[in-house]
Amino acid sequence: MTQAIDTSIYSAVTSAIQAEAQRILSEGQVSAVVGYAPARRKGSAQPVVITEASDAGKLIFSASCVNNLAVYLTKAKKEIPKNGKIGIVVKGCDLKALVGLMGETQLKREELHIIGVPCAGVLASTFQPDKALTTETIAPKCRECDAQLPQGCDFVPPQQPVTQALEKKYAAEIARLEALTPAERWAFWKEQFSKCIKCYACRQVCPFCYCEQCLCDRNKPQMVETSPRPAGNTAWHIVRAMHLAGRCAGCAECERVCPMDIPLNLLNRKMAKELKELYDYEAGFEIKEKGPLSSYDEKDDQSFIK
Amino acid sequence: MQNFISEQNLNTLLDKLIAAGKRVVAPRLTAGTVLYEPLQKAEQMVHDELPRRSAKETFFPVCEDIMSYEKEGQQVRLTDIDPNSFPETILVGVRPCDAAAVPVLDAVFSWDYRDEFFLKRRDKTTIIGLACTTADDACFCTALGLSPADPKGSDLFLTPVEGGGYTCETFTEKGEQFIASHGSFFSGQSDAKTLPLAQPQTDKFDLKKVKAWLDEHFEDPAWDSIATRCVGCGACAFVCPACHCFDIVDEGTEKKGKRRKSWDACGFWKFTHHASGHNPRDQQPKRYRNRIMHKFKYYDDKFGQTLCTGCGRCIRICPVGIDIAAIVEEISKK
Repeated sequence: MTQAIDTSIYSAVTSAIQAEAQRILSEGQVSAVVGYAPARRKGSAQPVVITEASDAGKLIFSASCVNNLAVYLTKAKKEIPKNGKIGIVVKGCDLKALVGLMGETQLKREELHIIGVPCAGVLASTFQPDKALTTETIAPKCRECDAQLPQGCDFVPPQQPVTQALEKKYAAEIARLEALTPAERWAFWKEQFSKCIKCYACRQVCPFCYCEQCLCDRNKPQMVETSPRPAGNTAWHIVRAMHLAGRCAGCAECERVCPMDIPLNLLNRKMAKELKELYDYEAGFEIKEKGPLSSYDEKDDQSFIK
Repeated sequence: MQNFISEQNLNTLLDKLIAAGKRVVAPRLTAGTVLYEPLQKAEQMVHDELPRRSAKETFFPVCEDIMSYEKEGQQVRLTDIDPNSFPETILVGVRPCDAAAVPVLDAVFSWDYRDEFFLKRRDKTTIIGLACTTADDACFCTALGLSPADPKGSDLFLTPVEGGGYTCETFTEKGEQFIASHGSFFSGQSDAKTLPLAQPQTDKFDLKKVKAWLDEHFEDPAWDSIATRCVGCGACAFVCPACHCFDIVDEGTEKKGKRRKSWDACGFWKFTHHASGHNPRDQQPKRYRNRIMHKFKYYDDKFGQTLCTGCGRCIRICPVGIDIAAIVEEISKK
């Protein structure tokens, strides 16, 4: 049965974000704040960069504030000025990406003013942004969220989100796929990858896809076929999943933005599960310098080499 | 005058065409998403949802082979694709915003070079448009002078009526031919009232004013505020009924392979990346500016039309909420 999710704290959270942004901009603590602002369509929100304290009133937080804004702080997004300290509004899932980027020496903690959001969840899709947040419309990632209250931020509004236990959809779907034979599983992914039109929205919104030239864009030599066809599509999605293993913290932006509804975060969650089982490693709020796939230890499990 | 077709007759007719080996393409649920896809049965047609991608792929596929090559010793064999092999197609249930884009594409694919791949498919396709009974606040066809009942681009146009079925109007020879060939499925004058049609809420844009501003503001700080947030994917172009850029690549080995044509997008950094390493559109706002310029200025300069039909797909799909209707409206007020 569909139930409403209580988002009543979001108006107070919005006021608190505005006040904090106003303060840090007017005190000159930051050169810019990356946050969310309302857009034309009813209920919609879009990323915004504000540099004037007088614009702080534009900022909001609502169930349609779906973006992981961490993507704008990476070196791939040259358009956002990176001079001096920058303020950023993050949900718990987004914060994990910021932390990951710090671990990969892409960002420095002292150059950020992190405004954490107490989060009761966001919409799975913003095709119709005025939808109310319910147990049906909530993003699947929010159903298994352990980060409603971001930790280690410079500021978090005091409101407490009301949470309720929801069925974990990724866990259930991973269990279903794991129970299939390899041939059945291959058939499932083959169908999914055949839908890909190579728009690269998944790559462009991913905070960890910050390579200035993606391997999949190279043509001297060409590593992956660029045409939206089975060979190149499959190669691209495998490259993507492998490159994110142990780094992806599950903001699920790739899956949300996919115009063809490919369940990309399912791959990411499966890889995260493998990393947890093999290396007892998971992406979280703690800055770790090297993930398990970018370090070598003589005690590493070698049993897979046959 | 045969101007009415019942729901059941439409289905029977489409099933008959499918059985006769015709390719019948319509909105259809495909692996969880509604797309314009060939039907196996008429009942698969989805009547009340705008497909995620436009109908352009019926003429301009996401990816197509245009030639193949084989090399043996010093011998190279090239094999062309024969456009005459493209099947006769009935494209049905096409939304007015998608049908209206077809003549817009015709102009560009038959201008300085006749693209046989596009034009042959176009020639062999009959377009049956369908009026919209629903719209959301991303729809803005009316702002561009079109409407949920506009037959532009349709050979035949269906409008749903109360009590079921459709009134049917023909607009081209192809449309008349279609009715003449399948007359028994249509009946005479119907006095049934048209179902209430969709009413997109956007006011009509002053496109002259928009173009006048674009003519003078290639360089303007507005582009940064509009598109700094753009992440540079190709989603907007790929769901668009009018965007038509493509890339041509050879794929295969030294011995054997294919030349392929696939969709491209001006949002990609690679789109204008020169072999020298220089990129004239080195920042995202310059790439997004091209999207607006092409739609509301360059295309107009060349063909006297707008390269946008207000389907709203790019608005719904944009990962970062870029709203072309809001942008054009803002420009029209400058």
